[in-house]
Amino acid sequence: MIEVSDLKKEYTEEETPTRALRGVTFLIEKGEFVSIMGPSGSGKSTLLHILSFLDRPTGGTYKFQGKSIDEMTDKELAQVRNKDMGFVFQSFNLLSRLTVYDNVEIPLLYSDIPPKKRRTLVENAVESVGLKEKLYTEAAKLSGGQKQRVAIARALVTDPNVIFADEPTGNLDSESGLQVMEILEMLNKKGRTVILVTHETQTAEFANRIIKIKDGMVESDKLIAADHIDRRNLK
Amino acid sequence: MIVGILNNMLYKDAIKTATRSLTYGKMRSILTMLGIVIGIASVIILMSIGQSAQDLIIGQVQSIGSNLIIVIPGAPDNGKFSSPASAQGIVITSLQPKDVDALQREPSVDGAASMVSGQAEVVYGNNTKTVSYQGVSANMFSVRNLGVKQGSTLTKGDVESANHVAVVGPDLVKTLFGSILDPINKTIRLKNISFRIIGVLEKGGIGAFGVDQGNIVIIPITVAQKQLLGISYLNTILVQANANYDINFAKSRITFALRQSHGITDPNKDDFNIRTQADVLAILGSITSILTLFLAAIASISLVVGGIGIMNIMLVAVTERTREIGLRKAVGATDNDILQQFLIESVFLTFSGGIIGIAIGAGIVGLAYFVISTFYSSLGWGFAFPLQAVVLGLGVSGLSGIVFGIYPARKAGKKNPIDALRYE
Repeated sequence: MIEVSDLKKEYTEEETPTRALRGVTFLIEKGEFVSIMGPSGSGKSTLLHILSFLDRPTGGTYKFQGKSIDEMTDKELAQVRNKDMGFVFQSFNLLSRLTVYDNVEIPLLYSDIPPKKRRTLVENAVESVGLKEKLYTEAAKLSGGQKQRVAIARALVTDPNVIFADEPTGNLDSESGLQVMEILEMLNKKGRTVILVTHETQTAEFANRIIKIKDGMVESDKLIAADHIDRRNLK
Repeated sequence: MIVGILNNMLYKDAIKTATRSLTYGKMRSILTMLGIVIGIASVIILMSIGQSAQDLIIGQVQSIGSNLIIVIPGAPDNGKFSSPASAQGIVITSLQPKDVDALQREPSVDGAASMVSGQAEVVYGNNTKTVSYQGVSANMFSVRNLGVKQGSTLTKGDVESANHVAVVGPDLVKTLFGSILDPINKTIRLKNISFRIIGVLEKGGIGAFGVDQGNIVIIPITVAQKQLLGISYLNTILVQANANYDINFAKSRITFALRQSHGITDPNKDDFNIRTQADVLAILGSITSILTLFLAAIASISLVVGGIGIMNIMLVAVTERTREIGLRKAVGATDNDILQQFLIESVFLTFSGGIIGIAIGAGIVGLAYFVISTFYSSLGWGFAFPLQAVVLGLGVSGLSGIVFGIYPARKAGKKNPIDALRYE
């Protein structure tokens, strides 16, 4: 599903080139739950931006569902982001003046899904994160955990194949963080690919595979076969 | 073009977002829209006033009849507008009573009437009023189609015998005699000369020559020339052309007759000026179009100022909503989607301003009409609210939303989603 080979990204800031990615290679199959870990400045966020089509690499190849990013126009990238990808951010990125309903509806505004079907999709997505009773509450009035659950509902509403989560528990207390991770885990069990960027080991271990990035390169890439429930009990 | 490719849902969402940001920062929205509101309101008011004035003037010019030809002294201005020489304080004595006789002999002329005019104080008892008076030949009434509602008009005998008789305007009667007293056969004094009133004009209002017909005193030309003005020349000759002839033919015959009468051989040395109703309308047309252009220029300045206000606030909005732009792009919005959203918001803002401006403009025009018709009813000012002003107002306000919104909207559309999402 996701195939990167010798992926490179260089920035030039104030005439000083920075090599954020120096040749990253891996393959992620459909239905995997992958955590990308690394210290700050390791290049993990840059990698996530490229994987989620928000940025383009400066070298190497990236194929998403068999199609190379180099062959796609910016408009096509936007279409893929809308249809096949869902995003969960550390700082939620909800529009605080809008209701939960309006926030979750945003991705549908840029899709070709007919208006009649949209209401059902929004309601189902909000229900799946357990916030049905908050459907018409203003986003600003929600707690941090609730906000992140709304953000997950927004990521789910277009029924994407992949969900990208960038430090989704970073701004949450441990209780809310746990709830959010459980939802992501449940989504993965229903067949969605989940790609998570985090620097917290406990969060990373919800995944079944951990790719560690250091200095713009893959340091390790390991599968985890352990039982999630046990790990949570350890917490 | 932009509207054509609008995504329907996006359009609704943008309207919703625009309404929300409008109501969220009410004071900011009001201040932002104020420029557009004032601009559009002034366009509406100026166009309405222009229309009313034009209707009034054209109505008056038309009321003198399409067969009327006016001859005034002084060299022709070749179609360009200039005030008559007499109005500039230059005394030109070129029009003489013999010219009227020459014109009367023309087959294309039904009648030629002579006229002199001046201003003086009219007195009856303790009541006085400064008025315009006209000394006219007896046929002036038929040439100008002036009627009386009381008494009679001047007769040929009155003019030939220089009788001290007068026909007065209806408003002057009210001023001098109140509404009860019968003015006929009462004696008024004009420049210390007594005149017996023999008739009251049918209609008041501003006449074709910019003279207040309601307050006019019309006396025999012989009396006016000799006893009031001390002149023997004429100020104006009014000619009624024969309806069987083309008006331009009549005009050329009059020119020919006057050149003969004045002994002019070089056409460039004419000392008289001939104007038909069409000439007057053309002159008025050029004045009103210059005026309209001038007014439009003033109004457009306020629209530009308003537009800059809109651009400013949209730029602020784009910066404030950077993260929102980043999010929308992350979930699938293209540059064009974002551009459209901000453009719709700015058009919504200016369009709302336009609608408010039209409403305020209409209100002020209505109020002005009410005041004028209540206190200056004799002016004959009509209520004109030209539909094209509304269409123009809406069009211009919408257009200014596009013109002044496009730069901020493009800026929004071009934002990099990663930087936008990280924006604090």
